[in-house]
Amino acid sequence: MLRYIHYTDPNSEEMVRELARIPRCPGTCFFMDINKSTDMKYLGGLKDWGRKLNNTFNNLLYANHFQHHIVKGIGDEMMLYIPDEVLKAKTTNNTCYALLEDIHAGLFLIKNHPDPDLFLNCKVAIHHCSEVYNITFFEGADDYYGSDIDLTARLMTKSIENRIVMSETFYQMVLKDLRALHLAEDSGCLSEVSAPYRELFKGVPVPTEYRYIDV
Amino acid sequence: MELNEQKTSQCVILGITGRLDTTNYNVLEKKLLELIDDHNEKILVECSKMDYVSSSGLRILLMALKKITMVKGKFVLCGLQENIREIFEISGFTNIFEIYGTQEEALKVF
Repeated sequence: MLRYIHYTDPNSEEMVRELARIPRCPGTCFFMDINKSTDMKYLGGLKDWGRKLNNTFNNLLYANHFQHHIVKGIGDEMMLYIPDEVLKAKTTNNTCYALLEDIHAGLFLIKNHPDPDLFLNCKVAIHHCSEVYNITFFEGADDYYGSDIDLTARLMTKSIENRIVMSETFYQMVLKDLRALHLAEDSGCLSEVSAPYRELFKGVPVPTEYRYIDV
Repeated sequence: MELNEQKTSQCVILGITGRLDTTNYNVLEKKLLELIDDHNEKILVECSKMDYVSSSGLRILLMALKKITMVKGKFVLCGLQENIREIFEISGFTNIFEIYGTQEEALKVF
């Protein structure tokens, strides 16, 4: 449940007490970035890049039922956060495996669409988060903060056009789903998953393991 | 999801019933690849009973279209429900697939 944090006294003890009571909100964080969109803004007008951004965001969001889960949109990047309880309550795309398959398919459709002038290629980072809180410091905004949100953004630095980078934590959630569905570990897009890599990201005290899938 | 296959003198009609999503797209993929490998190069996909399609499902339809186009066959869709048509529009599919309102209309193009 969203908590609005707003205290005018910087030393408020009540604020500290309220923050201490706020529960974690585990879930999956998706970070998507549209490639070469800055270049395009210098080369073409709004009617060109605006159209392609509209098409690309629609294509990624609509088919995947994510349109109500955008938590941050900055420029041509957007971050989605789907709490586990929300995911489980869905009638479709209700596993980490399903989310991954549909994200992969979305990127595939854009990359392989016969008309290259409709959409823009994307890169994606995914992490399953535990250290996240559903709080906002700005009235009226639904938002999520926590170290795992920051880690998802760090994972994006390892992604490139038409690549999905996922933390080992998320990958293990996907494998758990596959076992529950009695599917092989290399089902679908997972047949293309890389070996694990390990990286020490800025601000993160321990190395993070991740894998990627090129579309 | 259920698939219903019907061979006619004009084409193979493949009916999809239910939801086409990540849990079953591979069933459709296998069926379409089987048909194409068996030289069934004229396929009509009847979608009037398909009530949901995910990106994974769209991917399979696009792959089938590309394969059949390469062998100069015909891959046609018909009977899309309104919500499915909207997904097709957003995905830019309405301009690349031949889509007809009814099976009767679609059969005339084979």
